[in-house]
Amino acid sequence: MRVISKEDFAQFVNSLIKDSSLNVMGVKAKGDKFAFGPLESASELRMDYDVTLLPPKKYFFPQRETLVTYNVGKSFSAKSPSEIKPMVLVGVHPYDIVALLHMDEIFSETKSDPYYFEKRKSSIIIGVNIQKMSKWCFAPYMGSATVEYGYDLMLTDLGNRYVINIGSEKGENLLDKYAKNVSDALARDTQLVGQKKREVMMMSQQKLDFPTELIPEMLTKFYTESSFWERHSEKCLACGSCVLVCPTCYCFDVKDNPDLSLEQGERVRIWDGCLLEDFAKVASGENFRATRPTRYRHRYFKKGKYLYDRFGFISCVGCGRCSSNCLPNIANPVNLFNDMYQESVSSGQVTTVSTPEIKIQTEGNIDYVPKLATIIRKQPMTAMETLFEIKLDDGSVLGHKPGQFVELSVFGIGEAPISISSPPSKKDTFELCVRKLGNVTTKMHSLKIGDKVGIRGPFGTGFDTEFLKGKDLLFVAGGLGLAPLRSFFNYVLDNRKDYGQVTLLYGCKEPKELLFADELLALAKRDDVEFKPTVDRCPEDEAWTGNTGVITTLIPQIKIDPEKTYAVICGPPIMYKFVIADLKKRNVSDDHIIMSLERRMKCGVGKCGHCQINQIYVCKDGPVFNYSKIKGVPEAL
Amino acid sequence: MKPKAAFFDFAGCEGDQLQIANLEEDLLALLSQVDVVSFREVMKEHSDNYDIAFVEGSCTRLQDEDRLRQIRKNAKIVVAIGSCAAIGGINSLKNYKDLDGVKKTVYGENARLFDSYAARAIDAVIPVDAYVYGCPIDREDFLQVVKSLLLGKKPDTPTYPVCVECKKNENVCAFERGQYCVGPVTRAGCNSCCVNEGTICWGCRGLVDNPNENSHKEVLIKYGQTVDDAINKFRLYFGWQEAKR
Repeated sequence: MRVISKEDFAQFVNSLIKDSSLNVMGVKAKGDKFAFGPLESASELRMDYDVTLLPPKKYFFPQRETLVTYNVGKSFSAKSPSEIKPMVLVGVHPYDIVALLHMDEIFSETKSDPYYFEKRKSSIIIGVNIQKMSKWCFAPYMGSATVEYGYDLMLTDLGNRYVINIGSEKGENLLDKYAKNVSDALARDTQLVGQKKREVMMMSQQKLDFPTELIPEMLTKFYTESSFWERHSEKCLACGSCVLVCPTCYCFDVKDNPDLSLEQGERVRIWDGCLLEDFAKVASGENFRATRPTRYRHRYFKKGKYLYDRFGFISCVGCGRCSSNCLPNIANPVNLFNDMYQESVSSGQVTTVSTPEIKIQTEGNIDYVPKLATIIRKQPMTAMETLFEIKLDDGSVLGHKPGQFVELSVFGIGEAPISISSPPSKKDTFELCVRKLGNVTTKMHSLKIGDKVGIRGPFGTGFDTEFLKGKDLLFVAGGLGLAPLRSFFNYVLDNRKDYGQVTLLYGCKEPKELLFADELLALAKRDDVEFKPTVDRCPEDEAWTGNTGVITTLIPQIKIDPEKTYAVICGPPIMYKFVIADLKKRNVSDDHIIMSLERRMKCGVGKCGHCQINQIYVCKDGPVFNYSKIKGVPEAL
Repeated sequence: MKPKAAFFDFAGCEGDQLQIANLEEDLLALLSQVDVVSFREVMKEHSDNYDIAFVEGSCTRLQDEDRLRQIRKNAKIVVAIGSCAAIGGINSLKNYKDLDGVKKTVYGENARLFDSYAARAIDAVIPVDAYVYGCPIDREDFLQVVKSLLLGKKPDTPTYPVCVECKKNENVCAFERGQYCVGPVTRAGCNSCCVNEGTICWGCRGLVDNPNENSHKEVLIKYGQTVDDAINKFRLYFGWQEAKR
């Protein structure tokens, strides 16, 4: 430990500011509150602050950030990182340091986010131990009131001097280069630091009535207590303040921002929040978390359960920003958890500590820059759906598995997740069956052969084509659900001898909505595939010789060997539970049911948060799921 | 062929068209994308041959309806610009008062010569394709809507309240400064411009689609407003929307 007088510390900060190769940010007053901002002089620093309005996260994951720039028909390119100057953050409280450590894990899971880490790695964190604690802060309960690592330098205020803990070589070098009159701390000062840190542990005005470790399991027990969540969220304004000020919230939206030439522009990511109304809404209008209580519950589960199961930490550092920013005062986690605990005790529910099984893998960087691709064929299928054949301009093979999806970019409009409709056996090109629904898909329909689009992916898990070899396959497709299934179905046809009996049940509303009609017609002639179509209704002026009725009316008509048969399902959200129920009647077991799910998959790599169903990211853990794995996931079906 | 655009005004201050006239260099860039065939504030020519109609002002009399219907017939796309056209605006304050009294106040002894009825947003009369909210509109937001329409995409109109932008801009909450605002129920898209400048949100962009009005009225009262104050806060811009709900 070192020690420096406050005058010399001010000199140190001033010499950092003078160095134009550094961006020096520190805590300054903003009205009666505090905020991190660029420092012009050490005299602006307010190391005695209680909490800043926004956490320092904003420097690594800014409110708005350009991911990609584009030029119609020419190229996509990533924002150049050259403008990044090393940043020194002065006065970061321990809970915000812990929060950054959480963010590091979140942004490096599966694939690492280069935009976050290029800033994070070049920055230097000078922490300071808490001197005044906000009345909403409960960091001592979350183990984040003090911190032993995660900083480059850590200061403790001892009146006329700071004691400095050196956390990294980078920190030490900074001190050596810019600070004068730094000496080794005496034993007395070391003891005083220990005492200060113990004092911090006693500062919280909030009181959690039970051990923090009980939170994940207690939440699990309360998931279905809908009256509890309704009661607590009744006053929720759905304003998102609680999540926007949170140091560990990381959800974002991605939007295209064209300039007035309409030909060039940028793709930006902006902070989003799961409390906001449209967070889980997809282009069809389906909102997978439409009500305030379910969104309110999701926030607590995300912090206290889902991320705990994934990473082993409760993703709350107790800074109290959510509580202090909630006007109706319903966002205070301490109040909610205490209420939950009281109810658990009175209902005799014993809560235990759970230990998650953590499997974190990181492999390479996320690429937000799409590959340029060309539409080479456009085949209208119905009034709403068109099949596009697409070729990557760099000549590479998409290399997908049946069931995977891509993020399709249309310049200036945005990105949308589209499942791949062609089997991987088709190598040079791939096909996307696109329904005209939202902005991207509507614009896509107006594009012509030769027009340029962008492609990222393939993403997600596909169907396990190897495991399913030799099995009987029962495909159940409703409406556009045929599009993702076709990639697998056609793969099976291409490798027909590898699979047992193959049956396709396909339903749509009316005959004119049938997708891939020619291919289906050809199926009727094959004797190695059983094909049964149905329509909900047939208008009088149309010819239809097939079944009439919803798709489940076909299930009793077919032979199923429950031992050998695997059902593969995709369709509109409403379809799944009815099809599953009827398959169960035919003794098909849960683990023989495989399904592909639709959600708002924005980033495709498990970062943006939009496609989450409880603890699962559909984009990354799915979209293909075995029913036995997700039947206990309440938001899934 | 560039699409043709025309501007129209009803009951309002024409401040939104002024925002557009003040676009400066962006106005030139915009004119490379659209031909303006009618814009009373900046040109004397007029044509009834247009694709996009930008309509400012609320509908406050029966005669306005015919004119609006004609505009709808002529245009492929109708865009309501500004609070008066988009949400009824402050003109709707009069809807809470006795109409004869209002007319007398405005027109004095000639009141009987003038028609008037409850002020309303233009979508009470004709279908509207896009909205640019605000009193006045925000220039960036206007450009965003226009660019979206030109690209054939639905404009990116926030469904969340102003608080979202306030938090991102790291404003000290008006309530924490001892002031009162309706940002928590007001549609965002203005980049919280008023609060950024140290004042409050008056609600000029109208209520979000699903506001929790009761909760916010409770908040206003909890922070020291009287019930009447709270009601008045809501009436300033939300009158027409609240009556509709």
